[in-house]
Amino acid sequence: MKHRPGFGAIVAESVRTATTQPVATIATMIMIAGMCTAVLLTNGRAVAAENQVVAAIDDVGTRAIVVRAEEDSGLRSDVVAGLSRVEGVEWVGGFGTARDVENAAFHGGARAPLRQVWSEDLSVLGVAPPSRDVAATAWLAADSLSQLGFAAPAGAVRNIATDQTYGVGGELHRPSYLSFLDPLVVAPAATDEPGRIAVLVVIAADPALVQPLSAVVQSALEGVDPSSVKIQTSQQLAALRALIKGQLGDSGRSLVALVFTATAILVGAVQFGFVMLRRKDFGRRRALGASQRLILALLLLQTSLVAAVGAITGSAIAISIMWIVGDPLPNPAYAVALAILAVFVGALASLLPAIAAARREPIHELRVP
Amino acid sequence: MLAARSVTFGYERNIPLLTDWSAEFSRGELVAVTGPSGRGKSTLLYLLGLTLKPTSGEVLLDGAPVSHLHDRDRARIRARRFGFVFQDAALDASRTVIDNVVEGALYRGDDRSEARRRGRELLEQFDVSVRSNARPGQVSGGQAQRIALARALLGDPDVLLADEPTGNLDAASSRLVIDAMRNHARAGAAVVVVTHDAGVVEQADREVRL
Repeated sequence: MKHRPGFGAIVAESVRTATTQPVATIATMIMIAGMCTAVLLTNGRAVAAENQVVAAIDDVGTRAIVVRAEEDSGLRSDVVAGLSRVEGVEWVGGFGTARDVENAAFHGGARAPLRQVWSEDLSVLGVAPPSRDVAATAWLAADSLSQLGFAAPAGAVRNIATDQTYGVGGELHRPSYLSFLDPLVVAPAATDEPGRIAVLVVIAADPALVQPLSAVVQSALEGVDPSSVKIQTSQQLAALRALIKGQLGDSGRSLVALVFTATAILVGAVQFGFVMLRRKDFGRRRALGASQRLILALLLLQTSLVAAVGAITGSAIAISIMWIVGDPLPNPAYAVALAILAVFVGALASLLPAIAAARREPIHELRVP
Repeated sequence: MLAARSVTFGYERNIPLLTDWSAEFSRGELVAVTGPSGRGKSTLLYLLGLTLKPTSGEVLLDGAPVSHLHDRDRARIRARRFGFVFQDAALDASRTVIDNVVEGALYRGDDRSEARRRGRELLEQFDVSVRSNARPGQVSGGQAQRIALARALLGDPDVLLADEPTGNLDAASSRLVIDAMRNHARAGAAVVVVTHDAGVVEQADREVRL
């Protein structure tokens, strides 16, 4: 036979108490829901906007280091493999000189620049590695396919200067940091068949690594005529990103703290009123065998459960409003963290009333004078 | 079974309500505690029930001192071995009758559905014929006190402590409550009743005057 109430029984009793005290329960729920709605519609919206701006900056290429080399610079594809192994480098691609190609199906049509590409990881472009058994293959971005008059990624392109044809391997995926190469048509080259590179693109794993990696790239260009290469980094964009990151969200922190404090005071007042109105109940519970710890646990759990429902309701309302209005939505981690914090605020606010309830002396509450 | 040894207690310092008070309450007997108002009868009951701690002296249960145990241990003893009947029933108006009867099962860690089955039996035994989802506000004073008695007896306590249980009851309800307490004593429990009711004193095995 058990000698103490189980957790399930305590939860069930907390739910029963909450449902039999609708005024205190609804008041607490509304306050917590209001808090979550207010925070999400202010700070949550700012954080979501910040994330959107940062993502937009990242799309432009805050992590890219671009080396442009003249044809006689001596920059060769060998450098790609070495840089790919440097810590902090996410991707490296070397692009050869652009050669005009046209749809092999008809002469005199629109042209697009074809570049040979060397990379250790061609999957980033959605391109299959070159094979000795397959004839030269070209991969085209969506806009290149359209420009050259392909209804589907099938057929061939012809080098206008050399008359060499390339079978169309498929449609490639062009990452946003390669947008400066549009319209993009590439012919994958085997890494053991080196060639000259006109454009080298190094993508850092993090914007903060752009500066140190630029130095690494420069040292990798040993033997290349420095006057014939130009290194472009996105340090200004990275600096702008660092400036924005955290600023929008931080600006609302004091407001959030104010909303949390005000809600905690209001919830505490409601819970204290609830405890005062039900003094006799707590005295009876104590006399019938409830320990002070059990009374404390019952009240804290009751408020936490009510706060959890309030937090979910408030968050759902705020996210619905943001969705309807078309505002950027905060990421799920932010909403979950806010809900957990709301439950914590509810429990913390009810701590003092719960202690007051646990200390009720049954004789003072139950005896009729 | 239950004893008070040299118990002294007062709500205000230097004004003791009980001084060096001793008594024993054995299994199988119903003891009526009587005396004028303000002499500490209810206080004595709550001291014996381990919700108050004596300033000095000790309450013993089966020979072991229990009045200065940790709150958690005293609560456990109250839940498992004591039953309380309060002066005005002290039912929770927001709960149903049956929920009131089974309240103590939570503190004992007992199975709730089994407690509800036993609770319905007790209500039937005490002639409380109300709907199971009725609220205390819908029952008479006499029924309320019988519901409180069912709540106190649900855990089959070794000690039953009652504070003026017949104070506001009609003769029939008083009779039923007194009989239930007597039967519980005969079943082997110690029953201590604070009362002004001559009918209770008459039925008691012993009277202790304060």
